[in-house]
Amino acid sequence: MRENSRYLPTIGIECHVQLKTVSKLFSGASNDSRDSKPNTNVNHIDFGLPGALPVLNTEALTLAVRAALALKTKPQLFSTFDRKHYFYPDLPMGYQITQYDNPIIKGGSVEFYVDGEKKTVGITRAHIEADAGKSTHPEGVNFSLVDLNRAGTPLLEIVSEPEMHSAAEAKAYAKELYLLMRYAGVTEGILYHGNMRFDVNVSVSKDGQLGTRSETKNLNSFRSVEKAVEYEIKRQIEVIESGNKVAQETRGWLDAKQRTITQRVKENADDYRYMPDPDLPPVTLDVRFVNEIEKSMPNTLSFWRNELKRLGLNEHQIEILIEANLDFNEANYLSLIQDFDSKGIDARQIANWLVNIDIPLAKETEGVLNSNRAIIYTVVAQLLRESKLSSTNSKELITQLLQLENLPEDIGKYAEDKGLLQQSDSNQIETIVDEVLKENPKAVEDIKSGEQKAIGFLIGQVMQRSKGQANPSLTKQIIENRLTKNSNF
Amino acid sequence: MAKLSRDDVLYLAQLARLDLSDGEVGSLLEELPQILEYVEKLQEVDTNGLKPTNQVTGLENVMRTDSTINYGYEAKDLLENVPEVRDDQIKVRRMV
Repeated sequence: MRENSRYLPTIGIECHVQLKTVSKLFSGASNDSRDSKPNTNVNHIDFGLPGALPVLNTEALTLAVRAALALKTKPQLFSTFDRKHYFYPDLPMGYQITQYDNPIIKGGSVEFYVDGEKKTVGITRAHIEADAGKSTHPEGVNFSLVDLNRAGTPLLEIVSEPEMHSAAEAKAYAKELYLLMRYAGVTEGILYHGNMRFDVNVSVSKDGQLGTRSETKNLNSFRSVEKAVEYEIKRQIEVIESGNKVAQETRGWLDAKQRTITQRVKENADDYRYMPDPDLPPVTLDVRFVNEIEKSMPNTLSFWRNELKRLGLNEHQIEILIEANLDFNEANYLSLIQDFDSKGIDARQIANWLVNIDIPLAKETEGVLNSNRAIIYTVVAQLLRESKLSSTNSKELITQLLQLENLPEDIGKYAEDKGLLQQSDSNQIETIVDEVLKENPKAVEDIKSGEQKAIGFLIGQVMQRSKGQANPSLTKQIIENRLTKNSNF
Repeated sequence: MAKLSRDDVLYLAQLARLDLSDGEVGSLLEELPQILEYVEKLQEVDTNGLKPTNQVTGLENVMRTDSTINYGYEAKDLLENVPEVRDDQIKVRRMV
């Protein structure tokens, strides 16, 4: 990034967040077309037929208010809708309904860490708008195909201040915005479904002189945000170094080739002929309405981070849990930890098991694991507390139980049958210890002459003979007793 | 009088996705400035201190609850209005 320190990159990001509603922004068509045939979740409003009247969906407004709160600001109590005109086959009305002069959100901020350093990026604005249809361009033919199922999906476009200066910051911002929106319950946030799409504006300034920016559109992963920014910084520096000017343009990202390409010369704001939409009266929010939404907000991202910190987890573990809780939402990792904590069970131990065993296993199996986690972790924690399980074998037991379709009725019995319980019956261990001591007179002599290291060797022998089931601390105790009290050895 | 260049007309045509013949460009070069002139008349009115009239109904907060609505016809009926359909999709001129 710092290949040439005379250049300072500046990055601003626009993010289109699809709002998690049942129906579309202005029509009663279903907003979930994941399993629908093309052009089935559509009606006269989405098709832009003459005389069709758009009516605002209250839930879209509620979710925008939640987004405002997640962005550490309050929503605007007065907002209006405008028409943004341009002609494209995926936009049947010939204009997009959006908010131009009076957006629902002005201001706000996103805080995150990059390489351990805290970074705050300001939010310029966020506005509600309708998504366009989806077009595809089959190979080797001279036509494109349009599916309007997506037309009219409610979007919140969040515009950041141009306050990022590296690809790493851009990536971290995108990820934090994603987490904020997911935890606020604003969006389904499935990136590969395009639930959140990022446009990155990149410019490089030379010796403090502002440069021309390019916009790379429709990035749908944090990695592509990072890579596209990296590529653009490098490309623009090369353009300037070779004595040319960077063109203001819209570019596309070719993931397979890891590069950007010119897409179109962008229309100017004037060309969109923005005008107030006469079909949609202004929206005024009651402060009580906003307060009620604030009260009903799900636990925020920062709440959970603080909770996990309080339990003594480190940053790395916290972020793994924060993400996995979204990726495998039916596992309810965070509430599980919270439940154990409120019952006074060592929640940190449970969290460690989740991070080290459960989550890696869930990733491997794409989340197909036994869902009775409350039972599994309660029983294993208890067996460990009672010293019936070694810490190694507790991990093994969890790994096995999570992969069972049905849990055994008696988990203790199951662990015993699988040879996972440790032997805490001193009679049995004593027998083995006696055998081992007899067979290893050299080690016994060493210990007697003060070589304490040899005791480890003997414990190892006992563990081996007991197939790992002897309780190690009990074994050590027995060996020490034998050697001090029994002159036979 | 407002002046328009040939490039202005062609640019507007491009924004409107209109393919104009030379003759049409010529006649628009005459007609469009007349329209602009008419609009300029409106500019003579003193609007100082007036709020923009974006809405005349006085309505606000016209909203609906978030549920799907049966409008009484099948979605596929809408495709009847489309010039050409292919695999349930609307066939259009190639975009890219």
